[in-house]
Amino acid sequence: MNRKSYLKAGAVVMVLFAIGLVGYFAFSAAFPDGLERVMDDNGMEEGEPFYVAPLSYGEDYWGALMAGLVGFAITFGLLYLYLKGMKAREKA
Amino acid sequence: MGAGWALALPVIALAVYKLRNNLHERAVPFMAILAAGIFVAQMLNFPVAAGTTGHLIGATLAVALLGLYGGVVVMTTILVIQCLVFGDGGLTALGLNLLNMAVVAPLVAYGVLRITKKGLDNWNGLGVPLAAWASVLTAALVCGGQLALSYSLSGGSYGIEAILSLPAMGAYHAIIGVGEAIITTGVVLFLSRVAPETLEFGMRAKEAKA
Repeated sequence: MNRKSYLKAGAVVMVLFAIGLVGYFAFSAAFPDGLERVMDDNGMEEGEPFYVAPLSYGEDYWGALMAGLVGFAITFGLLYLYLKGMKAREKA
Repeated sequence: MGAGWALALPVIALAVYKLRNNLHERAVPFMAILAAGIFVAQMLNFPVAAGTTGHLIGATLAVALLGLYGGVVVMTTILVIQCLVFGDGGLTALGLNLLNMAVVAPLVAYGVLRITKKGLDNWNGLGVPLAAWASVLTAALVCGGQLALSYSLSGGSYGIEAILSLPAMGAYHAIIGVGEAIITTGVVLFLSRVAPETLEFGMRAKEAKA
């Protein structure tokens, strides 16, 4: 396997999901997802959280877009640094 | 709730350990990008039926492209960030979420991909959608079982009876799984054309290895 093909594949995945993100508003509905629907149907409430996360997915299109971009960056950065660190320790 | 952690953590630890020995350094950026992409894809809800939506889990995609250990690590990363940074899924639920989506779903996906790859040589193309569908359905049923378990443990004050939770979770996610199968197969098929060597279990795996 060569580096080029991984870069190409990575770029393709990025573009695919970038298209998906821009299409967020067109496809994303305010409706509940499968688990939320089942919980609603059965009158189940989520308990009060004792930990409140610093960010949310946002209320509107731009909020969601920002959340998506921030999440993309955090996920990429964290895993990249972690795996790189893992590899570096291995060599040391 | 603690049981989720107890069951999920050993598997995740094993996956991290195995990955350390098997991961090629060149695959690191690809793996990170894929994780970030699946994170975004999980935000995109598609409507299924009767005012309900579904979204991708991505476990099958991760397993198909990175193998079982890579898939588990990618899913774990995504779920932890969703929980800690975006509050999607509470801290108490994270153990069970990890069990369902970072352990059960990748294991089912891996199992189906393995079986279809070995037994049905000419049916390789069906392995990926089948794995995607089965991983979602199984994870949903396990989740339904957890709702039922918390119902009986709490004496009915929290959770949902098994007789209601299992069919309901199963029915919605049997449809959501079709969406997962379409998206996963689409991405895998596309990658198999442009970069076949990145597929661990993908449809072109044989030719790529040869």
